[in-house]
Amino acid sequence: MKNSEVEDIKGEWAARWADLKYTLYLIRKNPLVMMGSLMTLFFVILSLLATHIVDPNLAIPTGYPEYGCQYPFQRSYVWSKGHIINWGPGAHLYGGPDFFLLGTDGWGRDLFTMIVLAIPVDIENAFIITIGAAAFGTLIGALVGYVGGLADEITLRITDIFFAFPSLVLALVFAALFGRSIETLRLAIILVWWPPYVRLMRGQILSEKEKSYVEALKALGAGHARILFNHIIPNSIYPILVQATLDFGSVVLTFSALMFLGFSPSPSLPELGNLASDGYFHIFDAPWLIVFPGLTMLIIALAFNLLGDGLRDVLDPRIRR
Amino acid sequence: MLFSTYRGEVKALNGVDLGLYKREVLGLVGESGCGKSVTALTILGLLPENAYITSGKILFRGEDILKKSKEQMRLLRANEIATVFQDPMTYLNPVLTIETQLKEVFMLNSDLLRQAVVWQRNHGNEITFDDLLSGRICIGNKSADPKVSKDEINRMAKSLCIDILRLVKMPDPERILRQYVFELSGGMRQRAMIAMALARRPSVFIADEITTAVDVTIQAQILNLMRELRDKIDASTLLITHDLSVAAENADRIAVMYGGNVVEVAPTVEIFKNHLHPYTSMLMKAIPDVKNPSERLESIPGTVPEMINPPSGCRFHPRCPVATDKCAVEKPELKRVLRNHEVACYNVAV
Amino acid sequence: MIFVLLGASIIIFYLARGFPSGIDPVTPYIHSKMTAEQIEMVRRLHGFDQPLHIQFFYWLRDILQGDWGITGTWANSRPANEVFSSHFSYTVELSVAAIILTVAIGLPLGIISALKNNKLPDHLSRITALTGYSTPSYWFGFILQLVFFYYFSLWGLPHLPSSGASGMEGAVSRVTGMPVLDGILAGNLEYTLDALAHLILPAFSLSFISMGFLARIIRASMLEVLRQDYITLARSKGLKERVVIYRHALKNALIPAVTLTGMFFAMLLGGAMITEYVFAWPGVGQLSLRAVFQGDSNFLLVYTLVTAAIIVVANLVVDVIYVFLDPRIKY
Repeated sequence: MKNSEVEDIKGEWAARWADLKYTLYLIRKNPLVMMGSLMTLFFVILSLLATHIVDPNLAIPTGYPEYGCQYPFQRSYVWSKGHIINWGPGAHLYGGPDFFLLGTDGWGRDLFTMIVLAIPVDIENAFIITIGAAAFGTLIGALVGYVGGLADEITLRITDIFFAFPSLVLALVFAALFGRSIETLRLAIILVWWPPYVRLMRGQILSEKEKSYVEALKALGAGHARILFNHIIPNSIYPILVQATLDFGSVVLTFSALMFLGFSPSPSLPELGNLASDGYFHIFDAPWLIVFPGLTMLIIALAFNLLGDGLRDVLDPRIRR
Repeated sequence: MLFSTYRGEVKALNGVDLGLYKREVLGLVGESGCGKSVTALTILGLLPENAYITSGKILFRGEDILKKSKEQMRLLRANEIATVFQDPMTYLNPVLTIETQLKEVFMLNSDLLRQAVVWQRNHGNEITFDDLLSGRICIGNKSADPKVSKDEINRMAKSLCIDILRLVKMPDPERILRQYVFELSGGMRQRAMIAMALARRPSVFIADEITTAVDVTIQAQILNLMRELRDKIDASTLLITHDLSVAAENADRIAVMYGGNVVEVAPTVEIFKNHLHPYTSMLMKAIPDVKNPSERLESIPGTVPEMINPPSGCRFHPRCPVATDKCAVEKPELKRVLRNHEVACYNVAV
Repeated sequence: MIFVLLGASIIIFYLARGFPSGIDPVTPYIHSKMTAEQIEMVRRLHGFDQPLHIQFFYWLRDILQGDWGITGTWANSRPANEVFSSHFSYTVELSVAAIILTVAIGLPLGIISALKNNKLPDHLSRITALTGYSTPSYWFGFILQLVFFYYFSLWGLPHLPSSGASGMEGAVSRVTGMPVLDGILAGNLEYTLDALAHLILPAFSLSFISMGFLARIIRASMLEVLRQDYITLARSKGLKERVVIYRHALKNALIPAVTLTGMFFAMLLGGAMITEYVFAWPGVGQLSLRAVFQGDSNFLLVYTLVTAAIIVVANLVVDVIYVFLDPRIKY
């Protein structure tokens, strides 16, 4: 490479580095984004280490408990063989090694353990679904936007149809039909979530297409595929990233909502919505079964939303000066 | 004063000493970025949040208005100091009608309107804006007022609007009132803004680059209008512009600004005949001379200083042809060198 | 618009009847005592053995005559549209209440956030808004019930009912189908208050989520507007700050916010489903849930078409409002 080229590339990278520093400065200045990113980081790390923190054995139904138990709450449960009871938070087994931090459910499974094990499931699925929907939608949007014509019209109409459905309803119907497994649930939600990306990407492509550098590239003899994938898409990817980050929160909420409504593949799958649906039937006896899983879900979604919202604020070109 | 931004403090104004006398037009001239508009905003108390006033005072009729509360400043803006801004397209609210925007200025002073209605009732003649201007109507004893309905006040305000639009030479005022900003032409929009300023019967009129965003013919019209109004209204005007010719035609005195400082102040004729500050001299040389069209235009070497790290001492010294060592060290203060002529420079030949 | 509805119905129709793992559409019309031949006869009678597109035409023809088919045994085998319309008003009541709450709380929240940008009130209301937006819809309803119903009654405080739309069924004649309105129309104060007591918790639960959404949008929009030049001019006129905000800024700020209302409606209707489930509210949302689990295609078709129609109409209404707000748009 010639010296001047090296200089150019260095200049470009220097500019990007300066940009990044400015972004970090803005992030630091905004306490909400900081909080959001820290929380998200916490959850991601937690989900990676989940199986090491807690003993999964505590999440196996133990059947009828055989030990007596003492707990700090007022309510006293009388237990005896043949009854399924729920132990509240802070319950402690006499003679047993276990201390149930957040209580148990009717089968003796420790809630805390189950929640910690459920977090990775939710987060992992949220990522997979969001990225799947974004990738799929973006690709279609890019192709359709670039090619234009009839394909464009048809795709637009199809997205219109999808927009006419409340997202939950459609996902519900899909889920009911596809059968109950994690993969089908993911597919169901992806199918509901991709239209906004199509629209978004298409809009970007349409405005990029008119720009002069595209003409220049065509004059240089670049093929359409090359123009599209090497140049136009990288320039338009920006709002897609922002939207995807914003969507994490909503996706994880939808996913667990579907689980709650009863679409989980198996009742013992550790997943926050699933746990909550178990708690539904015991709400007044054992409120902790719903309170804690839901609370965790809220905190996770909050983390994602804080991050996404703050990031969007920070990256908004009109606020950056 | 300075702006606090990411990259550092932008030291926008660094000693602006201006005096505005009664009934005069003071032209504030300078390049873009020298701090003219910022001066206006500082006077009005409308600076953005990241602006800090580090020192100084602004005296209005003897009172330091920098010490006033927000509410007091607001009343000042409503009754005494009126501003017309540069680009009427962005400075007028796109979703409100002209009537709403003009009427609200009148409605600020509902006591006066009430008096006007009463007067009109008693005397039978229709009130015009002239009457208000001339002070024939003024706020009297409040408790002696008979009841005036809101409707009548509204109608009075509306008729005053029509009147004032006629005053600024707006064609078909009644139709204009009903229209929105984007339906008017550039000149008409500018007139509307002038009308909104006029309606407050201010004692100080600030015109911030009012001719910059319009083309030359409209420019001429607006300036003519300003000249006519100047005789009618008893106000002093601060005419901010980067166009020396505009200042030359309309201002009684001219103040030249550079890099956040005022560098020279003098009556118009004086400054053109006898410009003392090197910057002013170079500005003059840069104006094409109609009498000698073949003479080369001289531009000022260098560029406008960056305000984050302005040059030390006199801010013009890097570009000044007669700069000495002292100029780089100490900032020259504005000193009176002739009877009505002030300059901020060490190297003035008097 | 028609196209959208048609497309939507095609999709649902295919999913409901044609999908290989779906439920046999004959289900509502048969009962366990029938023999195989009888079942086959029923099938042929209703045309379920025909290819899918012919079935679709039959269905279209039927609905244009008002026959939406019969629901399954889970709803007493009544005609689908009857089941739907008898419960629709409850959902409407809930949704309207939720919308009122959302605007009443979300709008000021967003405005305050914008005015006190980056100061404490802004951070507080942003967190509140984001919390609202991040709350799982199934969880918040429970928490409300837990606190306001269970614990309150434990502690001896007057408590709000936890389920149903009204505790005094049948006390008032059914005019609009919405308990609160019916109570007002009949002049029965006790009934109305009771209906209101039943309404508050679910409405608040439903609105909590969209409240955050609205506040977020308003905040962004107001911030943008407050930076404009015409706000500077308005202030320089000496207008009171409150006038500047409400007369000059707000109208401009609402414009982009209004465009998102269509999406908003979609969210609302979807969320209503879960809220109705949690609160045992007799609306069409929870009915549709049961329909999905029972594989009842007729009811599902009714439900989806009506919701799709509502969303489409909402979008149209938004377009009309847009014309009113922004004089630059000419129809």
